[in-house]
Amino acid sequence: MKKIININFHGRVVPIEETAYDILKQYVESLRKHFANEEGRDEIINDIENRFAELFSERLKKGSTCITDDDVNAIIASMGRPEDFDQEEMMSNGGSGAGTGGSREQSNQQQSQQQQYAGPEVKHLYRSENDKVLGGVCAGLANYLRIDPAVVRIIFALVTFGGFGLGFLIYVILWAVLPPKSLATSVRKRLYRNPENKVLGGVASGLAAYFHIEVWVPRLIFSIPLILGIITSIFRNSWFDFDPTPVFVTGGFGGTLFITYIILWIVLPEAVTASEKLEMRGEKVDLESIKNTIKSDLEGFKGRAQVMGTEMKEKAQEFSRDFKQAAQNFSTEAGPVARKAGTGIGHAIGVLFKAFFLFIAGVLAFALIIFLTGMLFAGAGVLPFRVYLLNGFWQNFWGWCTLVFFIAVPVVGLLTWLIRRIISARSRNNYLGYVFGSLWTIGWISFIIFITMMVNNFRTRASVEDEPAFVQPTSGKMIIRMDETKVSYYGSDWFGFNWGNNSSFYSLNEDSVMMTTVRLNLTKSHDSSFHLHRVRFSHGNNPGVAKDLASQIQFDIHQNDSLLHLPQGFAITPAQKFRNQQVLVVMEIPVGKKILVDRNIEDYHWFNIDVNRRHRGWNIDWNDDYNDTYWWEANVTYVMTEKGLERVDKKKNEDGDEGDEENKQPGDGGYRYKKDSDSAKHQVPKTDSMKKKPVNKKQTTVPAADDARKTTSVEENNDDHDFSYAPFYVLSGLNM
Amino acid sequence: MNIENTQSQMRKGILEFCILSIIRRGEAYPSDIVEEMKTANLHILEGTLYPLLTRLKNSNMLTYRWVESNSGPPRKYFSLTENGLSFYKELEATWSELANAVQTLANKTDSMPDTTNQNPSF
Repeated sequence: MKKIININFHGRVVPIEETAYDILKQYVESLRKHFANEEGRDEIINDIENRFAELFSERLKKGSTCITDDDVNAIIASMGRPEDFDQEEMMSNGGSGAGTGGSREQSNQQQSQQQQYAGPEVKHLYRSENDKVLGGVCAGLANYLRIDPAVVRIIFALVTFGGFGLGFLIYVILWAVLPPKSLATSVRKRLYRNPENKVLGGVASGLAAYFHIEVWVPRLIFSIPLILGIITSIFRNSWFDFDPTPVFVTGGFGGTLFITYIILWIVLPEAVTASEKLEMRGEKVDLESIKNTIKSDLEGFKGRAQVMGTEMKEKAQEFSRDFKQAAQNFSTEAGPVARKAGTGIGHAIGVLFKAFFLFIAGVLAFALIIFLTGMLFAGAGVLPFRVYLLNGFWQNFWGWCTLVFFIAVPVVGLLTWLIRRIISARSRNNYLGYVFGSLWTIGWISFIIFITMMVNNFRTRASVEDEPAFVQPTSGKMIIRMDETKVSYYGSDWFGFNWGNNSSFYSLNEDSVMMTTVRLNLTKSHDSSFHLHRVRFSHGNNPGVAKDLASQIQFDIHQNDSLLHLPQGFAITPAQKFRNQQVLVVMEIPVGKKILVDRNIEDYHWFNIDVNRRHRGWNIDWNDDYNDTYWWEANVTYVMTEKGLERVDKKKNEDGDEGDEENKQPGDGGYRYKKDSDSAKHQVPKTDSMKKKPVNKKQTTVPAADDARKTTSVEENNDDHDFSYAPFYVLSGLNM
Repeated sequence: MNIENTQSQMRKGILEFCILSIIRRGEAYPSDIVEEMKTANLHILEGTLYPLLTRLKNSNMLTYRWVESNSGPPRKYFSLTENGLSFYKELEATWSELANAVQTLANKTDSMPDTTNQNPSF
């Protein structure tokens, strides 16, 4: 027993079973979806409905009382279902293209594009419901613009990450604004590697096929870094004896291209079957393509699509379990809510939440990639430094393993996964995940071994203390300064980082590394004379090695009466290895004597690598002995008192009026440099006490221009010393 | 490799050409076209015909007029435009080329493997 309803179908009253009506309705709806992208959609559906109406009335004329399920199904069978059209559609395009020969290489989309210009109908922008990664915005845009969704997605990703989330904002707005619609994929075009015309992996050739350009263009672009690398390495080699490989592997632009090629090589599937080759070319239809398509394997299509789907899922879970899952959970919750709320505010809010969570997930993933890439580059940056760090074959071996497997593998893996997602690449098997997983495991193992070895290298610390020859200065003031460099060390910028000479704790030249891990301590002397101590530290895997390395440090202190010259640093050679060598210079100052530390002493960079906290070693003992080590500031004259170091100027401000001998004597010494080095001696005495106050007030507020002027004026008088530190002169200059 | 697929693809590749060659002979109603093709042993789904006709019509290859029918709603009868005619002629030329080529290749009996015929054309 079935309910029969009367419908008005194309101007006719048709009695139809309700179930049959439902079937019909569903069928028309499916047609609507299928032809969603078609220019004359309504007309097509109208025609088909018209045909239905005609067949219905034929049946009714034959004596049927109503239209039954069977009737509808029979008509539908002869019409064909949208699923059946799909294959035909694809092929009928082939037919149309073939008809016009090579002159009109039209794919479906191009043809309908042409129609778009001819027809008056306006195309609308939708979100794609059936081809989406996030909200289908990119696919919708691609559909609207009739380009490859992958291209739109990549552009969006670039705008998002390059433009401070701008792309993301646009995306969310479009997501909320655009109505969803099931859109047919407008471009059947995928990036493949072309196996037929390849030099290395067929990447360039595949790109050429994809963009319909000559093969040599991408090939040339990809080989630019290689060519440049070779050229520059030739030039470099003529000057220094450097390894040219890092230049084109890691160097900025070239490195990007190089890595891009490798990643595309990994990511892109090879176009093996004829249909893949067609896809690679974007269904460029001509005689060959028909031959190819005839051979194409349509059966494999669906299967591969399914395999890809499951593989994608696995990959997604594998690479971004936690936060992705959270996002997914939320999106599944937010999704239905959004759908129920329809186009209202609820929808927008749902979308916003979903977008927000996915955005965070994306940012996390992106940050991870950036971090790991940074590590990779930093690792590569340390390359020239490695000879100083690693000892023996095994440390080198594990170091390389760590760099490659622990850091590079996840970067490549993440990028691979991302790009595969973006271009929705198909792959036949799932070996990639396993390969990356096991490689990373190897990476972890080598990382742990490597770190253990490195820690072992720094296990013990030893020091060598001595007292360099030191003559008491003729006056009561010591000046400590650093020598300008005599050996040419330069910022090593060939691997992309610029370690300025002063901005880093080390700098390199060909055969040694300059360490500036030097510290200057000022303490109170036991007796009435200055004392100088030099303590050299080093780490090592045993005390003997550490002590040996410490004693190998070349750090010669020169004295020129009251001037103490410290070297700019000390060099260590690859044979010595870097084991956190340090030099501690201790200056003991007797009470009542003055000290001035030049500002360039601050160029030293002290740091400690301490792997064994229980035995802090000698440094602690030393500090205990000289526990009245004072904090000092560069370019300030201090006087040693019973209580410790005190600023000369401050003291004068406080005690200036007393004018006692003690005070005056050091005050004089403050300008001792002039006295010592030139005729200024005679200009100083009488005016000294009169000008003291203004000088001291001014000293803190001397403008820079003043500095420069004073400096030059004094320098003329100081030919024998190339003392070129301005503020120092300001003091004496103002005094004149 | 599915033989049915290959066959249907072969047939469908020349669908437009076939349709135009039927309409060329005079005004045609879609279901008549289907019938005509069926008698020529070329089976297609009616549903694929409509979008094709609409596309051809929209690119000015075809035109149509409504004809009252006593068996139901008015029918759309399609005919070729001038554009369509020249388009058809081009198609015909290409088809004979193609048929020749295929014939030549198919009739060859020497033992050269299939793939060597395809590769140079890439």
